[in-house]
Amino acid sequence: MRQVFRLPDIGEGIAQAEIVEYLVKVGDLVKADQPIVRIETDKAVVELPAPFTGRVVEIPYVPGDTLNVGDPLIIIETDGEVSAEVFRQAADMMPKISRPDEQPAMTLHDPSIPFPGQVLPAERVLATPHTRRLARELNVDITTVRGSGPHGRVTDEDIRKAISQIPSAVPKAPTAAAVQAPATAGFNFEKYGPTRRIPLKGVRKRIAEVMVRSVSTIPHVTHFDEADVTELLAVVDREKALAESRKIKLTILSFLAKAAAAALKEYPALNSSLDEETGELVFKDYIHVGIATDTDAGLMVPVVRDVDRKSILHIASELQELSRKARDRSIDLDDLRGGTFSITNIGAIGGNYATPIILHPQVAILCSMRAQQKPVVREGQVVIRTIMPLTLSFDHRVLDGAEGGRFMNHIIGLLEDPMRMLVDVA
Amino acid sequence: MVVGDFAQGTQVAVIGGGPGGYVAAIRAAQLGLEVTLVERDLLGGICLNWGCIPSKALIHVADLKRQIEHADSLGLITSGVRVDLPKIMKWKDMMVEKLRNGVSSLLAKNNVQVVVGTARLTGDRSFTVEGPDGVHRFEFQHAILAVGSSPLQLPGIPRDGEVVIDSTDALEMTTVPDSLIVVGAGAVGLELGTVYAKFGTRVTMLDGSDKLLPMLDPQIGRVMERALKTFGIELVLGARVLGVNRKDSGAELEYSASGKEQSIVADRILVGIGRRPNTGGIGLEKAGVKMDKRGFVEVDSRMQTSVPGIFAIGDVVTGLMLAHKASYQGKVAAEVIAGQPAAFDGVHVPSVIFSDPEIATVGLTEEDAHSQGIDTKAGLFPFKALGRAMTIGDEGHGFTKVVSDARTGSVLGVHIVGPHASDIIAEGCLAVSSASHVDDLTLTIHPHPTLPESIEEAAEQVEHRAIHIFNPAVLGR
Repeated sequence: MRQVFRLPDIGEGIAQAEIVEYLVKVGDLVKADQPIVRIETDKAVVELPAPFTGRVVEIPYVPGDTLNVGDPLIIIETDGEVSAEVFRQAADMMPKISRPDEQPAMTLHDPSIPFPGQVLPAERVLATPHTRRLARELNVDITTVRGSGPHGRVTDEDIRKAISQIPSAVPKAPTAAAVQAPATAGFNFEKYGPTRRIPLKGVRKRIAEVMVRSVSTIPHVTHFDEADVTELLAVVDREKALAESRKIKLTILSFLAKAAAAALKEYPALNSSLDEETGELVFKDYIHVGIATDTDAGLMVPVVRDVDRKSILHIASELQELSRKARDRSIDLDDLRGGTFSITNIGAIGGNYATPIILHPQVAILCSMRAQQKPVVREGQVVIRTIMPLTLSFDHRVLDGAEGGRFMNHIIGLLEDPMRMLVDVA
Repeated sequence: MVVGDFAQGTQVAVIGGGPGGYVAAIRAAQLGLEVTLVERDLLGGICLNWGCIPSKALIHVADLKRQIEHADSLGLITSGVRVDLPKIMKWKDMMVEKLRNGVSSLLAKNNVQVVVGTARLTGDRSFTVEGPDGVHRFEFQHAILAVGSSPLQLPGIPRDGEVVIDSTDALEMTTVPDSLIVVGAGAVGLELGTVYAKFGTRVTMLDGSDKLLPMLDPQIGRVMERALKTFGIELVLGARVLGVNRKDSGAELEYSASGKEQSIVADRILVGIGRRPNTGGIGLEKAGVKMDKRGFVEVDSRMQTSVPGIFAIGDVVTGLMLAHKASYQGKVAAEVIAGQPAAFDGVHVPSVIFSDPEIATVGLTEEDAHSQGIDTKAGLFPFKALGRAMTIGDEGHGFTKVVSDARTGSVLGVHIVGPHASDIIAEGCLAVSSASHVDDLTLTIHPHPTLPESIEEAAEQVEHRAIHIFNPAVLGR
């Protein structure tokens, strides 16, 4: 029988994926668990294995196509009895019958036969057509609205509340311009010169969504300071040989992660999240630090788990592996999830200060800039020291400036006196 | 005017005057847009002229004949019924014409300009119309493609309109054939096959699948198989058509079924195996409108094609090829053009087969729901337990089934096979589109004695508490 393998639900809120490449072609024999297709989600590229053994009879999409969860990825002929699914698929492929090169055969069924064959949206929203239209009018994505009725039924009132809660969902005036101009009328960039249009998708699209959400829900405060890392760099230099002997590249970043983990233990509010729906602060008894990583596809934030329980070399080694995987797009989705705090390091690129955006639902992000030699005053004398600017953005709903400042001081104290990491950090 | 020299401008061009196109045109006009509608044949399209409407007229006459023939048991003494097919066709044509004139006058009153001819896109903002008085050029700001679909033919066995016929031909016949082979046991086959069987034709129905109506709730197919037998229709499932040999009168159709090659001779062969979108030859490539692999125009939920400003609705876009879907999408397209936030999303398209008994369904079957990982609870209520069904002489095996989401209690689907299923389903459509709770159906008073009471009872039966079925399991609880 023909079995349809549909794009499975691959986890946390991922509703769409783009096909990167099919690893098999029509006519190929595939074994269960053999990778058959590479897809790109918001977060990474993953390979999906065949769920059954058989022969590939149809590949309905081509690389570049975007699929929703539930769309058919591949159709495989297996042994066994015929299911309704097969008929549905056959119906979809109906026009085949008119191909002259085929043996005249009757169709499996008449596609004009009414049949339900309808797929519910991945999450069925319980709402009346009137409420759905209200949501469209107010430019609210009804699938994101938490319904107040029984079993989450969404009411008109819920939609109206949703606009007041989501600053980004400003009711948009219906595109009256559509009457005069094409319905897509936007900016007429072409008026000023030639342009190219590239759809926002995959990682880029995900970044755009996350950033809008973060900036529009979190009141950011950014705290600036600097750390004297002269001694720390000396330690890095000294231990480089040891690290290299284990094929690890030791940088200041691993120390920063360790120092941050120590400070997070001291100031757990910065390791918490605000549950906006229940109005509760969620304190996490684990410290997983995300490290912002620049890749060809855009920003990715792989997560080093339990930083507080790992040695600096261990952290460096994991970091190295994770950023390699992020760059070559082989990273597991799980390695991109579960961070409780983030660090972004722009030192390699340059700049003195930046105001990083918090990765919602975390509450803080630390940014380190390029460490440079600068004249500073120590005990009444001008001396040359290596200074690294640091900025910390935090969620002012969860903590205040004083706590943010103390957190930063704790980190700076550890960075300026690396011995303290040995003495004072678990 | 020198023909072809001068392009007429229009705000909205609707190409195709079927149930999608004319509805879109009227809606756009209501919203203050200036609309030009192009139709190459008759206003109302297939649905009004050669589909839904005329077939229902014939079905009505055929039903009436059968009822009269079986009226003895109800105490009506009749002395035989004769079929005057030309007269029936004339009545049907008059009725169709009356409706068509209604559409025409509505368009005129709404200031929709109707142009007769064949439209072809020549760019992303222009098209030509080849009409009886030459070729005219038009420019538009928005276009709605509503060009419909055509019947599929059996490979190598083209329609000749005499012996090998399609649904349109079957609605224009002037003599009742002695024998008819129906290829395809879908809506067309079941409806027209049954009509001619009731008129006295010996009907053989072939279908390629192993089950009748495999897309529907499996119990519906079983009821229908039994019903076909009562009309003397022979049903061959799992059949594969091999070829047709023309005879002096009629033809011999060769087919294989259950591993054997067989043949049947009949006066006519009605092919009803589906339809394909009319996307060829209308200049889609000139405008840059993208189609999918199956030849359907690609659209988003606002019915917009890959070319901004060009919309497509109805049979040319993917989904069920049904008039009410086209009309709904036509309204969406018109409203989007007028700047309203309309969309074709979260919409469930009901479907009806006017077989005997009728079949009407909306939403998910239990199988559909299970394949999407939704647990269901369903309640089935047979018409034989319903007073109203008895009073209209229904002695069939039909039922109404309500499928609900076991977790939330919301109604996922309603499936009916039985008398006037096409009318009863409306309540199911509202329940599914509103995501009603099953309780909304049980707690609504349904007037007695009526057929829609079957919905209330089927909804009650979800919790095994329908009154007119004995439910021992809940006794005393």
